[in-house]
Amino acid sequence: MKELLKELCLAFGPSGYEDSVKAIIKARLEKVATSACEIIEDNLGGIYFHIPKNGAPRLMINAHMDEIALMVTGATDNGELRFERVGGIDPLVLSSKRVISENGIRGVISSKPIHLLDKEERSKKPTVDKMQIDIGASSKKEVLDACPIGTYFAFDSDFVKMGKKIKAKALDDRHGCAEMLSAIEALAKNGFKVKYDLFFAFTTREEVSYSGANCATEIIRPDYAVVIESKAVLDLPGVGSDKSVATLGDGALISYADRGAIMNRALTDSLIDTCEKNGIKYQINRAVSGGNDSATIQRGALGTRVALVSAPSRYIHSSSSVVDMDDLMAIRDLIFNFVKE
Amino acid sequence: MEKIKNLLKRLCEIPSVCGREGMGKAMLFDLAGQYFDNMYSDSFGNLVLVKKSSKQNAPRLQIDAHFDEVGMMVCEICDGGFLGVRAIGGLDMRVLCATEVTIYGKEKIYGVVTSVPPHISGGKGDVPKIQDIYIDTGLDKETLEGLVRAGDIVEFKDGMCELLNNRVVSKSLDDKACACAVIDMASRADRDKLEYDLYITISAQEESGKNGAKLIAYDIQPDIAVVTDVNFAVGEEIDETESIAVGEGAGIDISALTDVKLTRSIMKMLDSKGIKYQRVCEPSRTSTNSDGVSVAGKGVRTVLMSIPLKSMHTPSELVCLDDIKSMSDILLEIAYTKKEAL
Amino acid sequence: MIELLKKLMLTHGVSGREDKICELIRKEVEPYCDEVTVDAVGNLIAHKKGNGKKIMLGAHMDEIGYFATHIEKNGNIRLHSIGGINYTSSAFGAVVSENGVYGVLVPNAGADSPKEENVYIDIGAKTEKQARAKVKIGDAFVSAPSIRRLSGNRYIGRPFDDRVGCLVLIEALKAVGNTDNDLYFVFTTQEEVGSRGARPATYGIAPEIAIAIDVTRADEKGTQHKLNIDLGKGPTIKIKDGSVICSSELLGEMREIADANGVKYQDEMLSDGGTDTSVMQIAGKGCKAGAISIPCGYIHTCNEMIDLNDVRGAIRLATLICERI
Repeated sequence: MKELLKELCLAFGPSGYEDSVKAIIKARLEKVATSACEIIEDNLGGIYFHIPKNGAPRLMINAHMDEIALMVTGATDNGELRFERVGGIDPLVLSSKRVISENGIRGVISSKPIHLLDKEERSKKPTVDKMQIDIGASSKKEVLDACPIGTYFAFDSDFVKMGKKIKAKALDDRHGCAEMLSAIEALAKNGFKVKYDLFFAFTTREEVSYSGANCATEIIRPDYAVVIESKAVLDLPGVGSDKSVATLGDGALISYADRGAIMNRALTDSLIDTCEKNGIKYQINRAVSGGNDSATIQRGALGTRVALVSAPSRYIHSSSSVVDMDDLMAIRDLIFNFVKE
Repeated sequence: MEKIKNLLKRLCEIPSVCGREGMGKAMLFDLAGQYFDNMYSDSFGNLVLVKKSSKQNAPRLQIDAHFDEVGMMVCEICDGGFLGVRAIGGLDMRVLCATEVTIYGKEKIYGVVTSVPPHISGGKGDVPKIQDIYIDTGLDKETLEGLVRAGDIVEFKDGMCELLNNRVVSKSLDDKACACAVIDMASRADRDKLEYDLYITISAQEESGKNGAKLIAYDIQPDIAVVTDVNFAVGEEIDETESIAVGEGAGIDISALTDVKLTRSIMKMLDSKGIKYQRVCEPSRTSTNSDGVSVAGKGVRTVLMSIPLKSMHTPSELVCLDDIKSMSDILLEIAYTKKEAL
Repeated sequence: MIELLKKLMLTHGVSGREDKICELIRKEVEPYCDEVTVDAVGNLIAHKKGNGKKIMLGAHMDEIGYFATHIEKNGNIRLHSIGGINYTSSAFGAVVSENGVYGVLVPNAGADSPKEENVYIDIGAKTEKQARAKVKIGDAFVSAPSIRRLSGNRYIGRPFDDRVGCLVLIEALKAVGNTDNDLYFVFTTQEEVGSRGARPATYGIAPEIAIAIDVTRADEKGTQHKLNIDLGKGPTIKIKDGSVICSSELLGEMREIADANGVKYQDEMLSDGGTDTSVMQIAGKGCKAGAISIPCGYIHTCNEMIDLNDVRGAIRLATLICERI
């Protein structure tokens, strides 16, 4: 699964521009699909894998394909690009980071050097309007010819192994895509014998509006949905156990609630049950924090019973997120065991 | 330009955090050795590369570029595989979050600087202090204790990235860009044309104290010294009086603390040959090694040259290779010009 | 050892006025050295000759204090700080001049926090004339020195900074056995005002290796400082502080000697502060410089705190370095 995860993380897929991620997923799905299976593409760029089972309850398992990004809004006279953020990014993780555009042009986020700042400016959080993307151009015309207004940039960041852990960009939520694909491939081996009328939905635009998940809910109209996500945790030295949210390496993270939704108790408990029965490592969220597609899916169409399974993740929405491979494997095993007959 | 780019890339890969320049000594000697007659180092960590003129008793020309770069040092090993660190040199705390680093313990270890995502911070909070951040290695504490101890160096991860128009981005271009120009110049210097014995000093601890170049100048006692360092490049919200333009050639600085007469006669010589350079004004203190070199021992006639650089003291400093070439060319002109003519 | 430490602590020696402490140390070390000299800035240099490596160990003799700058009509004495004084600690405490005149350091009525500008010394004089009979402008005062044992190995008093370093140097000088090394034990002046003595001393000796022995701040109960330095866990070997990054080669050698001989030590890595180490490193052509420190609580107050275990460890480490490096 690590190789798949790497391929997915390195793919360029900002919100609203997920096609290269979808292409990877589609190719993998087509490889395993039998004539009974159905591959559906929606109008917002999402792709679903349907394993039908007549009369069974409809279950949707969902992960989003998009990643946070930057978009060109203009240029300076010196030939640097102005930009805004697509999705929630703290300016502190932007300064000096390498980025790459949708057309493969490399750049770096520049800001005023520390030597030219007064004491107050040095400790004040920088703002995006004081940062530029420098691609090496020397005039406004040159830079806008290369990267017109509206051009996407994403972090240019390697996939690195750190012991059992992984560092990469876009782990939120490519790990969810990888676990779903890996579970589908495992199901293919047992002839797609499943308990539910099962949909795996790879959705778009989570980082800006949850609209991809809304679309999927309308189309699929699931009875149940399990959202596979990243949960920002802070298991750092000196941070209390409640503030830290959860711990990397302690297993799949199951939440009873987050800031957007109170999860369905019975569905959540049956996920926990699956973990217990199959010896899958899991942990329960120590805080109510964050939000994701689960809220939209819960309130979409006729309403859905939702549950949330997350990979505890450090430093998400930066160029260098960190997850533990063991947690990802646990989530994959949980998905597989939960849906198989 | 390909030669300069390759040399620069290899120089930037050499670990040389301020105060631990010794780690990179062998690599530098290995890289530059072929161009020099003699290489040595002193107790402070300064490296000296000597190339003699074929003329007997030629005067001594010291050309200095500092070897060190800003970075961090490990101060404690924490639970969960995190390292507490302290800053070495003028580290810009605004750029550290999510930055990738290399820890030089018993072996090279990869790490990431911790940060707080907006999901938890709500976007609030100021720039963290060095005590608030950690290096996440992904390893467990026991493994880490076997590999790392207090005092070990943490450096920005290397990796050069090429942009348009011969611009490159890397860590430690301050001052490896100048080191590259200086070594390139020495590699091209024709001994028969050299009017000086070249003492290239790749000096230590400019980023903290600026003592290295001064110490080695005291030892060498050069007739003339040229100190090279990077300078702020023109950019958004940077006053043009304190910056020079990227891609327009190396700068020559005029300061009351360098040798104004010598500087002007070099400018005149370059003007007469139609060689392009940028004029930079540093009225008093230059905050470079030239402040120290000029007062070393009995005093040294010193000239300061600079390369424009963007995003100084970050993992993504930016320079233009053309400016490095320009500095190399100008240095060669100086070395080929008789002392009496300057 | 305690007796000697007491003598060192109770002898006057503000920066620039180190004559008395210098004389005391000279008498103490003379029998053990080949040559003892005092240079132009007052550094006491004790030389044990050898043909091997030229090694310099330094500890500063001076202490923080006050110079009398002005005597008012009512006999109050205004003062100028020598070194970094903690006036909160000094206020209402006894002070004593180099001539043995006692007084009390008093903040002006209504002053919010005591500092140089708003404190004076009251020596009990009722008039300027009475005061002038006992104190001349320029006389040096110190907060009254003392040394007391707490429980176990803990001692409080002043000025442990850096008389305890002087003690380490003297004891190491006495203890050092067979070695070829050319050893200079230097008791430096004016460290507290910016290491003004150590530079010329190092320039003159031009050692290959220089090691400063001074106190370093230990984590104190109830304060926020997290330096990872504790009292009683052994002397520290300095990695860096605000003014110096120690020679990594020397650091490695010092650690090796300590490890090989079972001397317990702590890592010292500070973001600020400084000792003689920085000027030793860059005097003349420069040398490999490092430092051994004795952890000390409440530095520059009237009750600094040390642990004798750390002092013993420092003596042993300094001795071993003299012999084996």
